[in-house]
Amino acid sequence: MAAPTILGTEKIGKLLKMYAVPGIIAQTAASLYNMVDSIFIGHIPEVGSYAISGLAVTFPLMNLSVALGTLVGVGSMTMMSVLLGQKNYEQAGKLLSNVLSLNIIIGGIFTLFTLTFLDPILRFFGASDNTLPFARDYMIIILLGNIITHLYFGFNGVIRAAGNPKLAMGLTLFTVISNAILDPVFIYVLGMGIKGAAIATVLCQTMALSYSFRYLSDKKNLLHFPRPIFQLNSRIAKQSMTVGLGPFLMNSASCIVALFINQQLGRYGGDLAIGSYGIINRITFMFIMIVMGLTQGLQPIAGYNFGARQYSRVREVFILTTKWATLVTTLAFVVSEFLPGPAVSLFTNDPELTENAIHGIRYMNMLIAPVGFCIVVGNFFQCLGMVKTSIFLSLSRQLIFLVPMIYLLPLWLGQDGVWVSFPISDAVSVLFCLFFIIRLFRKFKKLNDGDDPSILGGAL
Amino acid sequence: MKKIIINIGRQFGSGGKSVANALGERLGITVYDQELISRAAEKSGISPELFSHSDEKKRSFNLSSIFDGMLNDGELFRIQSETIKDIASSGSAIFVGRASNYVLRDMDCLDVFIHAPQEVRVKRVMERQGISADEAASLMEKKDTSRAEYYNFFTFGHWGKASDYDLCIDSSILGVEGTADFIIDFCRRTGMVE
Repeated sequence: MAAPTILGTEKIGKLLKMYAVPGIIAQTAASLYNMVDSIFIGHIPEVGSYAISGLAVTFPLMNLSVALGTLVGVGSMTMMSVLLGQKNYEQAGKLLSNVLSLNIIIGGIFTLFTLTFLDPILRFFGASDNTLPFARDYMIIILLGNIITHLYFGFNGVIRAAGNPKLAMGLTLFTVISNAILDPVFIYVLGMGIKGAAIATVLCQTMALSYSFRYLSDKKNLLHFPRPIFQLNSRIAKQSMTVGLGPFLMNSASCIVALFINQQLGRYGGDLAIGSYGIINRITFMFIMIVMGLTQGLQPIAGYNFGARQYSRVREVFILTTKWATLVTTLAFVVSEFLPGPAVSLFTNDPELTENAIHGIRYMNMLIAPVGFCIVVGNFFQCLGMVKTSIFLSLSRQLIFLVPMIYLLPLWLGQDGVWVSFPISDAVSVLFCLFFIIRLFRKFKKLNDGDDPSILGGAL
Repeated sequence: MKKIIINIGRQFGSGGKSVANALGERLGITVYDQELISRAAEKSGISPELFSHSDEKKRSFNLSSIFDGMLNDGELFRIQSETIKDIASSGSAIFVGRASNYVLRDMDCLDVFIHAPQEVRVKRVMERQGISADEAASLMEKKDTSRAEYYNFFTFGHWGKASDYDLCIDSSILGVEGTADFIIDFCRRTGMVE
């Protein structure tokens, strides 16, 4: 019970630093990982630009794999933290064995299905005759290692929840660094090309997974694998999947959006446009993920203080997080508009691809500066339990307005239509965020610390 | 005096709360249910509304599970459990609901489950809430489902299954007072009550 008391008393700035920094490190590590992969793949001699387009074609499939990971992962993590909070290590061990079996079953089915229909799936996702071989080479290895990837992420989360966040962080950093070392060895030295990048990824995750597996098998730890190590309990399976269904659907939505983007770019701009999106996506996500890390710090602080009716502190942490988030996305804006050349050149030296990507990033990130604010607002409503507002805001930026525009605008504007869909969708979403947050803060004004929050109307 | 801790689980409308109160009166022990919630709230600095919101309700699928803030049901359950443990370690107590039999599984307690036939419960709920038989039946169904989901989610046990408790009693056979007498008699035999 150490945490809650300081959440209500310690200085907001200090708290935010304490809670946000681990989140930011974890998120940055994840995006660095993807960036490094793309950078090495983009510089494969002669075929680099097709290879990076081939990689971008796989994004929707990768998103779907992540979504399936959350289907098991999020639910079991929720149950795990409840069990560990009750010090019920016996049941927690059983859950661990169920997580193992469930991941193997679901990951295995996904691998079998996608490998069988890999070519048609990739074609559907926007692959051309030029990019299909690269997408296929990459995806075959990644899909074969799919179970390992899910288990690696799943057990990393378990280790974090089980009271060893340092080890979890260490393993994450290990995969980032070892991947950066193995990538050039496999891709260039051994001449494996894009396949080498995939092998490096799976290999690094295998090493990290073996370590966490050993750690979780150690009987000296309170939480460890029981005998038999493979268990499948229909109730645990059902419970974890019902909890995980929400995150699964949200992540599937991002798969669908990635799919639309790729299809439209392929139709109106060809491989080059898809490759450009691959590069722009990596650059943009670097910044977005930092903001996501920040919101991980916002959540416990805003949630606790709202529950404790300390509205002045809730407001303070919201404003501080917004400032930092906006600073980060403003930086993304500056890079996209004024330094797109150097940023893009990290990923490719193909002049045509470079030109297209620079053109694209200038349009796409025109209004990215206030997006940091939007992400914080969406998370903020979630902390206050106004989940419907939160989901609406999050979907409005990424789905509701984006998808129709990506479909309609290219009819008149061609490839540019896809790029400008992003700033337009951002603008609409900023307006919605402003509307909801101003309305909320007007009501907040009437509340003094300690007042009943019911005038806020709960779900809004 | 020896420490007495009794956990009472109950079907909605079975009179479990009245049995608990009768026990409390006779043994001179405090009965914790709503009071427990406000104590938990006070201690952790979290307003009681949030607790009553999640009080013995665990929605298996809801939109909020898409995002996971800090004040999730699990966190509230944890705070509530800490409070139950605190109360139990400082003296005798009777707990009604909230999976206290699971929370206090490492302590010496008597875990009781009170149930009653459908008709008896319907009648009691009709009188208590002033509603029709159909309304009472559907309210009971709803409440019992949510109690079972809450209990089963957090404890991994089975709400209302005999093996989860020490004693399961149909309160309609001996009546509220008689059931309380019977439980005290049982406690005497186990040595919990002198």
